[in-house]
Amino acid sequence: MKRPVRLEPGQKLVLTANRLLDGRTVWWCADGTWDLHIGRAALLDADEAEAVLARVVAEAQRDGVVGVYDTAVQAAVPPEPVTVREKIRAHGPTVHPEFAVETEQ
Amino acid sequence: MSIPVGHYQYDRIDRDFLQARIAEFEGQVQRRLDGTLSEDEFKPLRLMNGLYLQLHAYMLRVAIPYGILDSRQLRKLGEIARRYDRDYGHFTTRQNIQFNWIRLEDTPAILRELAEVDMHAIQTSGNCIRNVTADEYAGAAADELVDPRVHAEILRQWSTLHPEFTFLPRKFKIAISGSPNDRVAARFHDIGILARPGEDGAPVFRIFVGGGLGRTPVIGQELFDSVREEHLLATLEAILRVYNAHGRRDNIYKARIKILVQAIGVEAYREAVEAELAQMDLERYRLTPEAVAAIQSRFAVPQLEAPADADAVLAQQRRDDPLFDRWVRSNTHVHRDPGHIIATISLKPAGGIPGDATSAQIARLADLADAYSFGEIRITHLQNVVLGHVRKDRLRDLWMGLAEVGLAEANIGLIGDIVACPGLDYCALANARSIPIAQKLGARFADTALQAEIGALRINISGCINACGHHHAGHIGLLGVDKRGEEFFQLTVGGRAENGAAIGTILGAALPEDETVDAIARLVDCYLGRRESGETFLDTLTRLGHEPFREAAYETV
Ligand code: HEM
Ligand code: SF4
Repeated sequence: MKRPVRLEPGQKLVLTANRLLDGRTVWWCADGTWDLHIGRAALLDADEAEAVLARVVAEAQRDGVVGVYDTAVQAAVPPEPVTVREKIRAHGPTVHPEFAVETEQ
Repeated sequence: MSIPVGHYQYDRIDRDFLQARIAEFEGQVQRRLDGTLSEDEFKPLRLMNGLYLQLHAYMLRVAIPYGILDSRQLRKLGEIARRYDRDYGHFTTRQNIQFNWIRLEDTPAILRELAEVDMHAIQTSGNCIRNVTADEYAGAAADELVDPRVHAEILRQWSTLHPEFTFLPRKFKIAISGSPNDRVAARFHDIGILARPGEDGAPVFRIFVGGGLGRTPVIGQELFDSVREEHLLATLEAILRVYNAHGRRDNIYKARIKILVQAIGVEAYREAVEAELAQMDLERYRLTPEAVAAIQSRFAVPQLEAPADADAVLAQQRRDDPLFDRWVRSNTHVHRDPGHIIATISLKPAGGIPGDATSAQIARLADLADAYSFGEIRITHLQNVVLGHVRKDRLRDLWMGLAEVGLAEANIGLIGDIVACPGLDYCALANARSIPIAQKLGARFADTALQAEIGALRINISGCINACGHHHAGHIGLLGVDKRGEEFFQLTVGGRAENGAAIGTILGAALPEDETVDAIARLVDCYLGRRESGETFLDTLTRLGHEPFREAAYETV
């Protein structure tokens, strides 16, 4: 059962998953692609997220991703996840700054 | 090829099996990629081959049976780190190695490379009997009564692909030691085995069951005091059968053997095992002296020859070089041969990541093992590395070689020798990051003279209640908890995994991440200010009780 999404003011939802081939964390973009950079993620309102999520989950195998779910972000540029866990997924392990996702293409 | 000194020599049957298993997994990966297998179908298959999906990538856990490698194998692990990962590997408390940045597509090729050196990732995950762990000083320590490696190997063969025990209610971990000083945390394992010589000289085994950490920490209870060698396998088989039949499968949190032993009591468990033994075909499981000797013969014996003055040379070098002397004091252990010594190499550089080693360090360790310890390396359950048989007069040369690659930290058993799980920087189950706290503590207590002054003190950090960092068993334990998306740490004191095993006591409410290191520094100050001559942290804690430490931890300035 899906938990009810409660967003604070200024927050939106993004969709995230891991790439099947290499396990890397990816974010769903408005053009239907998946990207390593959270900066390109589509920001969704709570009421539209459920339908988009269902559609994206159905296409996960074709798109080569696993474990699709939504998570809350501060709707800034770039969006910043609310929880420490998702911050770390977005930016890479905090103990290896040289692996920061931002510096990858 | 000559027989390795530290571990068992595989034969063609083992190798053919590994190749078949890799081919099978390669097919499964292919079917996953083309969509024939769904993720739900594939996940248990990849886990059976040691492949997890973590936060940023796949993680491959490679088994190191009883923690012992030869230099060829270690070199291969370094190559895999360089070719397929980001140039480093992580040694774990279960004497395994984990690679954190693995691609699913590469996994069959990596497994092939591992198989070239008789290594694999089988039974490093799933509800089976996991890699058996053993005393890191096996076959070397002066205080050892029975070399546990031969029996560890017998257990490896018995438990690998055991048809009845591949779908147990939950994972199952066995540790074995042959020393009166428990260096394997025997009482925190599903089964802990302590070997000693029996009256007729053949080994007998004291067996504990139902120990474990995790959500419900429990100290294992003695099931049998003296199991004879010939009945070792039958007894273990019976213990597992009772668990397999009666362990709970309805609730993952109540599925470990510890819960079953708690529920029915150790006496009832013993009766059930005895009843099982009474109707088993004991002949089938009998461990004959010939069978043991056959396994023993597949281990080479190191030729321990040292010059008569080796001990005197070392003593002189220690007098001449105080830094070396400090390292010898914390990082060595007495060998059974007077001309030799056991060296523990710390993978805990001040401010570094506990248990991580770069491919360059791994390659150097392999070279040093060849040069100084018969090409043999052990991984410890405290995330360090041991060279078991170093000639005393050559120890200083080894130490200098280690220093060149940043591996000469003098902190074994001291506050800098921190055990930490991967935590929220990698682990999908984590609540909080373990490594940054370890790094901050390491930096805070970086001075090895101060560490020596503080004395024996173990800090263990887990990023969640699964307790992979053994926090319940730390003299000071830290458990990461999540409070509305923020990291907090719960502190425990008084845990220990050695003789006299104990579970740490929670000091109070969890602290915010940025207050945790200061709170621990105050705990240490409290101990230093109040200890009596000769006392360790645990001694002072035992004498004073928890209250002064609780006050120190929660004191706000
Ligand atoms: C990063 C991936 C990992 C995952 C997903 C994972 C998962 C788990 C889980 C779920 C448990 C609890 C099992 C239970 O109580 O039934 C556990 C226990 C344990 N893990 Fe891990 N773990 C991981 C990494 C590690 C590492 C890196 C180490 C060593 C540093 C480790 C050592 C242990 C140990 C010793 C236990 C046993 C605690 C006990 O006796 O219950 N694990 N792990
Ligand atoms: S203790 Fe928790 S956070 Fe740490 S490795 Fe185990 S499962 Fe992950």
